[in-house]
Amino acid sequence: MKQLIYFLLFLMSGVAATAQNPSFSPSAFTAEDEVTLTIDVTGTGMAGVTDAYLWIFSNPDLGGGADGITNGAWGNSSESAKLTPAGPNKFTYKFIGTIMFGQTPAQLKSFGFLLKKKDGSAQTPDYKPFFFDPLIFVPSMARIFPGKVDKDDVVTLNFDNKYAVANTNDKRMAPATVTITMYDDVNNAVGSPLTVPLRKTETTIWSGSFIPDASFTPATGRTLSKFVYRFNGTILDVNGATMTVSTANFESSFTKMK
Amino acid sequence: MKRINKIAIIALMVTSIFVSCKPDALNDLGMERDLLTSLNGNWKLIKATQVDEDAAKKGFPYQQIDITNLFPYTQFVFSLNVAGGQPTTFTSTPGASPKIIKLTSGTWTVDNLKYPKNIFLKSGAATDTVSLGGYPVGSATTLKLKKEKKDFVTGKLLISYTYEFTKQ
Repeated sequence: MKQLIYFLLFLMSGVAATAQNPSFSPSAFTAEDEVTLTIDVTGTGMAGVTDAYLWIFSNPDLGGGADGITNGAWGNSSESAKLTPAGPNKFTYKFIGTIMFGQTPAQLKSFGFLLKKKDGSAQTPDYKPFFFDPLIFVPSMARIFPGKVDKDDVVTLNFDNKYAVANTNDKRMAPATVTITMYDDVNNAVGSPLTVPLRKTETTIWSGSFIPDASFTPATGRTLSKFVYRFNGTILDVNGATMTVSTANFESSFTKMK
Repeated sequence: MKRINKIAIIALMVTSIFVSCKPDALNDLGMERDLLTSLNGNWKLIKATQVDEDAAKKGFPYQQIDITNLFPYTQFVFSLNVAGGQPTTFTSTPGASPKIIKLTSGTWTVDNLKYPKNIFLKSGAATDTVSLGGYPVGSATTLKLKKEKKDFVTGKLLISYTYEFTKQ
């Protein structure tokens, strides 16, 4: 009997999973990602309607929301809000949050929507809220500023002791310098490694800066592609003597900019 | 009698209000500011700021740093020449500073002679563009130039640099 109940529960969960409506592809997306929503309007005021229009809005019930730029007027939806039919009572629509709402990823938390007739004479209920994946800042021991750099940018390499693993040399180290090794587009080392002094910029942060193309010149026909860096400092050994130590290597590639 | 006094006082007050109401004389706005000519001269860099525009857009911490003293930026001198209300030539003298403007000399033009926003520098076939972040007019004494860097493929703004200059 117990096995039968488990089997029925399993079947029901399967039905529930397939009945997820609306659905999104990809299932997780940030405000900067393109997402396709698919919705089945069976059982709503839009059932049987062939032309459905999207009415979309950001941050429902949170404040700081905006209407979708494709909405148009309630009594006359914009043609750009028209969904693509995908079978009986089924529709799809593709959008990118930041473009749809004209808001930044920092401003966009969630969105909601409904489907309607062009003239607003029929509609579905609201579907909300659906949350954007946050574009999260992940703190780390080694951080590059800016996050993406080109060869002629001022590049600042930051060592944050707060995020060093406890009971390691990284955590105990008094940071002093950072050593940079440059590589070209065929992965050959360019010149000699560059060591620059670190300056204390915050309570737990030490920073060193360099300009790649001012310090490294690639061979003719080659271009700077990436660099590897490590932080160096000193610790005291068991006898109280000063010992030089280094962190592991960290790698960063250049982003081509114009 | 009291009533008559009250009426007289109110009438006097109303009259005095109307008599004292005069249209304010409009102050002379002065001569129209010549923004283009205000750019003319030798400009020495005094402050450089780097902004991680991508981090700022995402609301991340660590959005900008002052890079003035990381490298000898303050050695950079930029000269813009204006003649007859038209931009003519420019020179940039970096000294030991990073070359924030790649061209050392040439001619320059603007997108709008009356309200310039972008400065287009040209030396032979080579070009460079900087935008104006602030005019050195009125109480403002500094010239602000801004350079934006965008992703080569997507065109997304990633980094910007703001340079402040003072007239020499």
